[in-house]
Amino acid sequence: MYCKRSAKYSPWMLHRYSLVRSQDPNQRRVLDSATRQRRLNRQLEALEKDNFQDDPHASLPPLIKRLPQFDENNESGKRRKKTRGDHFKQRFRKNFQTLLEEEDLSVSEGPNYLTACAEPSKFPQRHFCAVCGFPSNYTCVSCGARYCCVRCLGTHHETRCLKWTV
Amino acid sequence: MTTLVLDNGAYTAKIGYSHDTVSVIPNCQFRSKTSRLKTFTANQLDEIKDPSGLFYILPFQKGYLVNWDVQRKVWDHLFGKEMYKVDFADTSIVITEPYFNFTSIQESMNEILFEEYQFQAALRINAGSLSAHRYFQENSTELCCVVVDSGFSFTHIVPYCRGKKMKDGICRINVGGKLLTNHLKEIISYRQLHVMDETHVINQVKEDVCYVSQHFYKDMEIAQLKGEENTVMRDYVLPDFSSIKKGFCKPLEEMSFSGKYKTGEQILRLTNERFAVPEMLFHPSDVGIQEMGIPEALVNSISNMPEEMKPHFFKNIVLTGGNTHFPGFRDRLYKDVRSLTPTDFQVSVVQPQNPICYAWEGGQLLAENPDFEEMVVTREDYEENGHFICEEKFDI
Repeated sequence: MYCKRSAKYSPWMLHRYSLVRSQDPNQRRVLDSATRQRRLNRQLEALEKDNFQDDPHASLPPLIKRLPQFDENNESGKRRKKTRGDHFKQRFRKNFQTLLEEEDLSVSEGPNYLTACAEPSKFPQRHFCAVCGFPSNYTCVSCGARYCCVRCLGTHHETRCLKWTV
Repeated sequence: MTTLVLDNGAYTAKIGYSHDTVSVIPNCQFRSKTSRLKTFTANQLDEIKDPSGLFYILPFQKGYLVNWDVQRKVWDHLFGKEMYKVDFADTSIVITEPYFNFTSIQESMNEILFEEYQFQAALRINAGSLSAHRYFQENSTELCCVVVDSGFSFTHIVPYCRGKKMKDGICRINVGGKLLTNHLKEIISYRQLHVMDETHVINQVKEDVCYVSQHFYKDMEIAQLKGEENTVMRDYVLPDFSSIKKGFCKPLEEMSFSGKYKTGEQILRLTNERFAVPEMLFHPSDVGIQEMGIPEALVNSISNMPEEMKPHFFKNIVLTGGNTHFPGFRDRLYKDVRSLTPTDFQVSVVQPQNPICYAWEGGQLLAENPDFEEMVVTREDYEENGHFICEEKFDI
């Protein structure tokens, strides 16, 4: 049920130093800061997701509504109350972003949703290895990720540097 | 006339009659791989025999109510004959909403409470205001308090003075339990086993083994040691939902440092994950969220308050919400706030017995309060004056 990471990408696999060192620095592709920021945003968005997998019902055909049956007539009064005009339904189908834009907070005075957000910290950012999570002292030249040792750098190059594989 | 108190959280609803006790119930729907065709609502979760790969359908997005179809299904279930059997003609409701709730959500809420369900009276209020009410009832000599509410979607820091919320001091950090679980899922999936589909299981892992470190870098050093010296390391046995219904932490005496076990269970080995994950509440910048952590934001928020109130705020810091259950949370927050505050201020951090239901208990007290009748909007009021009267009476 929980599938093992294939051995090829196992971060704990030993790497030959030569593999990492052999790259010619002049030929190495380097991501610009805009791309790096985009990557970070994508990671942060992923942390907000409700589910990673698809809806298990997504592949099912939509349920065909049952035809009304005669003995349901006595309930119809109650039922009518629950179904409303289309405009009502529309109002209840907006996502967070639409609602936020509709509030139009940029022009409103006083504290609001946008102003209440915590400011950036005054303390310097701390750095941790993108592979093993321990404090890191080095930065990957290509993509800007942090790493702590040659072993982790090797894993990083193979899995999540220029190409994000796992 | 009875009063139903509903602290409508983004992950769990805390619900109960004011004369009764509270229940904590998932405020969402679920789908399971094994029982196709069926969608499970709220506490029907218990009926799912194999909750692996559980699919969540949540009514909230970033802490705000957006999916009304799901919310109504959950409420129908809660108010209906399976659970609270609400007699709407004879019931008032106290219901919570997030800070700065959007106007259109507030209006939808009025319509659904008064027109759809036809409650006789309603009080819409921030959960933090209920917590503050509870705190002031218990500590009647205190003038001010700061409510730190760290829940599923985000963390709010809100100063209250004599029961009134100080809007200028409200601070939101976009780190909550959901982010922590997703982050833990991500790092375990990268480092060990692919568990991206197992939100439910990993949430349990988080609740069972994560803690807030008191000496972060020291714990990092310990977590790097080999063998018995590594007192941080834990092996977690994952559930297979046949013989192991619920995951658990291997008892220390049974732990093998090689990580190999004769029994065939699937094991997660956790080291720095245990404290690096909750650390995001204290340093969101660790994962690239450029916001202050809880202690810094709290000190910053109080620094914007009038000078004469400051000592009262530092003396009355109240912790609510599920994240405050992490072992060591209170002590670490105290330590950090203490080190950021001049020594002439007294700092005191209070963690209630039940931080998840603290706001609900405040609602219960409020419903019994003689002023309660003055605070609600009745259905008659609403039918006469519409949204206007709600906007005037409720302070959201």
